[in-house]
Amino acid sequence: MADTSDAASAEQLSRRRARMLPVLAVLFVGQQASYFSGGGSADHPAGQVHVAAWLVLSVVILAALATGGGWIYSRKVRELANDEVTRVHRAHAFRAGFISSMGACIALYFVTQFRPLSGREAIHIIMTVGILVTLLWFAFLERRAHHDG
Amino acid sequence: MAERLANRLKELRAVRGLTQAELAERVGVTRKTVNTIENGVYSPSAMLAIKLAAALDVAVEALFWIQQ
Repeated sequence: MADTSDAASAEQLSRRRARMLPVLAVLFVGQQASYFSGGGSADHPAGQVHVAAWLVLSVVILAALATGGGWIYSRKVRELANDEVTRVHRAHAFRAGFISSMGACIALYFVTQFRPLSGREAIHIIMTVGILVTLLWFAFLERRAHHDG
Repeated sequence: MAERLANRLKELRAVRGLTQAELAERVGVTRKTVNTIENGVYSPSAMLAIKLAAALDVAVEALFWIQQ
């Protein structure tokens, strides 16, 4: 049996996470758009800042997706917020993200026959697609689960 | 023909005067999980099904059954 305050905190964490995921997706795409509109080069200082910011945000999002986030909460609350349904949702989201990433790889394979792409650009595109689809799919499943039927 | 796990969770929970949050707390999950099971969106694991049945003081097969 869960403690009442832990259960309430877990519910709050779960709802907050479901609300934040789409916002995070928009921020992530916005950052990618900014990188590509700047020519996608890391040869100048501003480009290096963009690449570093992208890497940091990507790692943070991946860590949050993999662990469920809510690192400021106690272990008990985090375990409760990452219960059975959440773990299933996460597995479905990662599956969708992986398939999308592979789809992006196949698409890029054909694109590079007509337009040369640097390794960095290709990595950006594949990671953006994979992380974005995982984020959005997880957000959709979590928001649907919170919605009273 | 497709099979699905049907349940009487909502009905039995209401009979015992429990909210989704109260039942969730008794079995150690969030309200969201109870909500998805009641709505038929999610089929629980055997462990959770047994915990839910115990919390409602009924046999598992009285709570869950396979619907054709």
